[in-house]
Amino acid sequence: MITNGHPLDALSDPTRRHIFEQLKAGPRSVGDLAADLPVSRPAVSQHLRVLENVGLVTHRRNGTRHLYELDAAGVAVLRNWVDGFWTEALARFKQVAERKGESS
Amino acid sequence: MNDVAVIEVVRKSVTVDCAVEEAFRIFTAEATSWWPVGSHSLYGDTVKDVVFEEHEGGEVYELTESGEKGHWATVLAWEPPHRLVLAWEVSPSVIGTEVEIRFLPEEDGTRVELEHGGWEHVAAEAPAKRDDYADGWDFVLSTYVERV
Repeated sequence: MITNGHPLDALSDPTRRHIFEQLKAGPRSVGDLAADLPVSRPAVSQHLRVLENVGLVTHRRNGTRHLYELDAAGVAVLRNWVDGFWTEALARFKQVAERKGESS
Repeated sequence: MNDVAVIEVVRKSVTVDCAVEEAFRIFTAEATSWWPVGSHSLYGDTVKDVVFEEHEGGEVYELTESGEKGHWATVLAWEPPHRLVLAWEVSPSVIGTEVEIRFLPEEDGTRVELEHGGWEHVAAEAPAKRDDYADGWDFVLSTYVERV
């Protein structure tokens, strides 16, 4: 559906979607995120890396803890993806609507 | 997360050469005929139907050949043939966003205007809302997570 390395592609995994949703509420640590999920901490770390690689998530150090949070720039990428999506969808809508008009 | 910049609303418009009633009907009741499901749906090419439940509180969803359902949106306003507002949840990335579609009569047809906004909800969600949100997310994700 979506090209490699795209934010939405990273979100095609349910666990990553869940992590992304959790981060909307604010920064969380890996342990904190793992406590809510039926997967191990290393698995959560792996998912966070994928999200970070596509720019949806960023992390910072807070004392000895790493806190992960949403990256606003990544959200802007999603917004732009939706922009492109509606351009394509409306073009198809127009095609179909006008074809029907001609045949009726 | 409070310093997230406001992300611009997506605005689109297209003019079609049919009456508003027809344009509204094709957009909703006949969405299957034009929606690019191959590239823009949860189940891709296996989607056989795109359904708009025609009332406020109704659901917009896709249905696959084998009967699986993918939730896209909830109808917030159903005002045929002029206006439609949807709480758009097709992808987790766009949960909390809102799409408003207006059908405006023009001399030779209909102008369809679409606005997809609410990106600030995606970028920053108030901690106080977290519990409510988690419930909403459980609902949305049920079709995915339960099966995995």
